[in-house]
Amino acid sequence: MTQAAPGGPPPPGSISVAIGGRVRETSWWRTPTARRYLFGYTLLASVGSPVARFVGIENFKSALENAVFYTAVRNTLVFTIGAGILKGVLGTTLAFLLLQPFKGRKVVRALLVIPFTLPIAVSVLGWKWMFDSQFSVINWALSRLSLIGGYGSPDWPVWLGQPALALFSVMFVNVWRGFPFSAIVLLAGLTSVPPEVLDAAKVDGASFLQRFRKVIVPMIAPILFIGSAFDTVFTLSDLSIVYLLTNGGPDGATEILPTLAYNTGIRGGALGRGAAISLFLFPLLLPAIVLLLRTLRRRQY
Amino acid sequence: MATVMGTARTHRHKQLRRHALIYLGLSPFLVLAVFPIFWMAITAIKQDADLYLMDAVPFWFRQAPTWKNFDFLFHHTSYGDWIVNTMLISFWVSAITILTAVPAGYALARLRLPFAENLGIGIFMTYLVPAIILFIPLARVVSTLDLQDSWWALVVVYPTFTIPFCTWLLMGFFKTVPFEIEEAAMVDGCGQLGALLRVVLPVSWPGVITAIIFSFTLSMQDFLYSLAFVAVSDQKPVPLGVATELIRGDIYFWGSLMAGALLVGVPVAIVYNLFLDKFISGITGAAIK
Repeated sequence: MTQAAPGGPPPPGSISVAIGGRVRETSWWRTPTARRYLFGYTLLASVGSPVARFVGIENFKSALENAVFYTAVRNTLVFTIGAGILKGVLGTTLAFLLLQPFKGRKVVRALLVIPFTLPIAVSVLGWKWMFDSQFSVINWALSRLSLIGGYGSPDWPVWLGQPALALFSVMFVNVWRGFPFSAIVLLAGLTSVPPEVLDAAKVDGASFLQRFRKVIVPMIAPILFIGSAFDTVFTLSDLSIVYLLTNGGPDGATEILPTLAYNTGIRGGALGRGAAISLFLFPLLLPAIVLLLRTLRRRQY
Repeated sequence: MATVMGTARTHRHKQLRRHALIYLGLSPFLVLAVFPIFWMAITAIKQDADLYLMDAVPFWFRQAPTWKNFDFLFHHTSYGDWIVNTMLISFWVSAITILTAVPAGYALARLRLPFAENLGIGIFMTYLVPAIILFIPLARVVSTLDLQDSWWALVVVYPTFTIPFCTWLLMGFFKTVPFEIEEAAMVDGCGQLGALLRVVLPVSWPGVITAIIFSFTLSMQDFLYSLAFVAVSDQKPVPLGVATELIRGDIYFWGSLMAGALLVGVPVAIVYNLFLDKFISGITGAAIK
């Protein structure tokens, strides 16, 4: 962004033009609190300069005019929903397996949660190496199993280089990191169901599915809500996987709102536009937050 | 197994079969969870040429294992600085967090403030406001304080997520302290502050330790804030330094990348692992009650 003198000509189409070119500026806009409410304002100045002008919805408009923005919204939705479903399925399966008493359960559990406990940047680097275009260990295994040809053959997958595969790969890493969390949260819920209740239902002739649907699910619903709310927030706002693996590429195939916001706001220096983009995450986050708030408040009664 | 057996043997047999089935079900999950770590670890101690031999089985060494990747980290990069930065950042963040979260948690748990419950939930909700929404407004805070490109920026920023989490955690701990012992202390002449310092804190030290551990691990887990605010090489924390400095253009130093990542990642993972149940009950405890 270029440095604009305070009171300089506002860009065409901004609100300030509509009110006769008068630049509205008060010091209140500059406080951090105000900034939380007024995300969409532009800083026509470089990072760090206190010069800022109110431009109304200008930043939101310019975000919406960018074709990449729509790709990012689509990818964010596919990424969050797809990964969410996979984590749900894997997590549920794993939780029921871990619910059984067996020898070595503690060790197995400790090993299974490694993906979640490792700092994300660390594990993503490991995946980047495993997805290497030429020396991928995954491709080595697939090729030894004769599922694909050797390096250079047309069916040799370039995980981070082919659009559909790249989106799948970043999603997969998110699932890899998140499934232990789903399993452990679900497990915490399942173990909080008193066995007497289940026994009573069994005596009354409820089948396993009936017991699951009518007894277990209602009892663990609050914990499930909280777990999935957290997971949704973590996933929606997670930039590191995509940033480190593909940085949105190839050709925007894995661009999501967080990477777009970061690249526009910090790298491109257009803080206001970046903030506008990241605020578009808010409607997506809202259901998760409302769900969580309701669950938390209900426990008071 | 259709053969007739004694009941004891049948029972043992059943147990064995059950275990076999469970392990069979668990094994894909275990491979999925552990293999990447194994692969990173073996990459870290392989010789460079050994990494690129695609015609042999790559799961073990063809050439002798080596420590040169670790050597490289400490002698040819700022890795030492990064470790020091990470430790200092985590230390200051923990100090700030404890100094803020202990009084806040105590007040919410004990002082019968109007709306204390809602206020507690409100504070906890701010933990849910993700970094990706906050990092741009915080960029201005950081630049106003003139801290850009210094790790102190992260000390200012990390408490935005450690304080809400730890306040919530400590509130839970303080609620379990019986009110009577506090009253007894006050009868004996302690003020409210004295009661907190001399009676409540000593019995809830597991909570305080947990809060410190989480301030440390959550700070070390961050990537986005450090990426956004710290660009000077010797000011970076480890995850950022490894991810940005060991990649030169298109050339990846895989061995030292993995070495640097694991050297800090594994201790964090172990500590986090030990405290995972506390983390889970911290965020879901509200629902179980």
